[in-house]
Amino acid sequence: MLQATDLNKSYKSGKALHNFSIQLKSGVIAGLLGRNGAGKTTLFKILCGLVTPDHGTLAIASKRAKPIGAVIEQPGLYSYLTAYENLKIFAQIQKAPADLKSVEGYLESVGLPLNRKDPVRNFSMGMKQRLGIAIALLNDPEILILDEPFSGLDPTGVASLIKLIKELAAQDIAILLSSHLMTELQKCCDYLYVIDGGILVNEGETNTLLDGLISVYTLTATNIQACAVLQPYLLTTEKNTVSITCSSEQIPAILQNVLEEGFAVTSCVPNITLEQLVIPLAK
Amino acid sequence: MMIPLLKVELFKLFRESKTWYAIAAVLLIEGIILTAAYYQGATILELLLDNLRQSFYFEGNLLNGNLLLYIILNSLWFNLPLILMIVSSALITEEYKNGTLKTLMLQAVSKWQLITAKYITSFIFTALILALLMLTTCILAYSIFGSGDLVVYLGTLNFFPAEEAFKRICLAFASGLLSMLFFTTVSLTLGILLKEPAKTWIASAFFLILCSLLLKADFGVPAVERFFFPKLTNAWQHFFEYDLDLNSILMDNLLLAGYTVFFALIGIYLFTKKDIG
Repeated sequence: MLQATDLNKSYKSGKALHNFSIQLKSGVIAGLLGRNGAGKTTLFKILCGLVTPDHGTLAIASKRAKPIGAVIEQPGLYSYLTAYENLKIFAQIQKAPADLKSVEGYLESVGLPLNRKDPVRNFSMGMKQRLGIAIALLNDPEILILDEPFSGLDPTGVASLIKLIKELAAQDIAILLSSHLMTELQKCCDYLYVIDGGILVNEGETNTLLDGLISVYTLTATNIQACAVLQPYLLTTEKNTVSITCSSEQIPAILQNVLEEGFAVTSCVPNITLEQLVIPLAK
Repeated sequence: MMIPLLKVELFKLFRESKTWYAIAAVLLIEGIILTAAYYQGATILELLLDNLRQSFYFEGNLLNGNLLLYIILNSLWFNLPLILMIVSSALITEEYKNGTLKTLMLQAVSKWQLITAKYITSFIFTALILALLMLTTCILAYSIFGSGDLVVYLGTLNFFPAEEAFKRICLAFASGLLSMLFFTTVSLTLGILLKEPAKTWIASAFFLILCSLLLKADFGVPAVERFFFPKLTNAWQHFFEYDLDLNSILMDNLLLAGYTVFFALIGIYLFTKKDIG
């Protein structure tokens, strides 16, 4: 669907992207993970044609008028217009259907209410993100690029956006989204790219990539700090929550033993930091 | 593709509160001038013509609608182009500032069509404001002060009969429109270059003041005096010289129109070549 090879971009402040290659496929959600200033937005701007790379090639297998829809940085919306008017004008300029029924359809497709008649400046960040996505999806692009879509969202907003992203991928749209937050990408991405200093430092299928690196898990259960099975693995303890160190292969057996000891584990969250993902290939 | 873009640009322009503030400012200035003329105009005119009254007999009222139209026309020197430049440059700088330009460029829209639509929108807005200014002044000035002969001081006092005066005022407004289009085009091009609203306003005001200063300066080189753009921005004023040189005014207007197209083409070229972001 999209193949970018050896992309390079330099600014006066330094090199933003160095020989970066990326591939996007239909129905696959790819995540781009990196610290702030790692080069994520520069890459997205190049993929969307807003910025010209110094070197490298970009091939998009699409014959549509708009192959890529994107929300880069904050959703750029006309704050003095309503959601309906924003969608209508963005549809009109590219001759996409802009009648009442179509625009209401766009709003519904991203879960926005039809009864909001106030300017979008009154909208929450989550609603603005959804409207931005609705605009990005105008004219049926085959690729959707979302830059830091979870920033500024509360947990409910994050969960709801992840659900929407998965629904869009199920419609065979290739999706690329970035974040500096591991947990969110982990929840929805099939494939992960890790960028640091403009360089691709790690990549792979999410589960494979993370399983090999996760060594810390957080377990929650009533009075779990007293669990004998966990004592050899304990890293930190808090009331009803402990962090343990073990490999991903060990965790099923440990959980089984904890349950047998009589502790009802209500959650087991793998902990991995961005640094863990950056270090392997950088070494 | 251009028609939908134009419609959307005009829709956005007239939905922005700053556009209505600008229109209100233009009409308020007009109202202040008319009010001042109503209460103090006769006294000022008496002072100006006091010496002449000792040698000549003036028939009719010289403080009339035509004189008021001429006074309002003089807002083309500074306040009107400044307001128009602020609104026009905002067509692009506000899009940069709010990130909407990125959203626009992520749609199936070509860069040159988008920026050309913005220049055309700026032309339409400028023409509408000038038409509104002329229309409202005509209605108010003629209904309050009536018609009459026009007296204008351009180095010397020039008198025009009422009908002749109105004809010249109409032509001056038309010529003034070209001058306003030139300034608004430059401001939009400056907006493309500078991106930030405040910087663009300062640069536009500086450009306007610089043009006014250069217009008065004597370069001593005939080609510069004839063809340099600041020297062409006052073509509308020549309609109030007693001996009308229509060919010279026409040439000035054509040259200024050429400069306007030139600055617009520079803006379109820069916009299409520059990265967004």
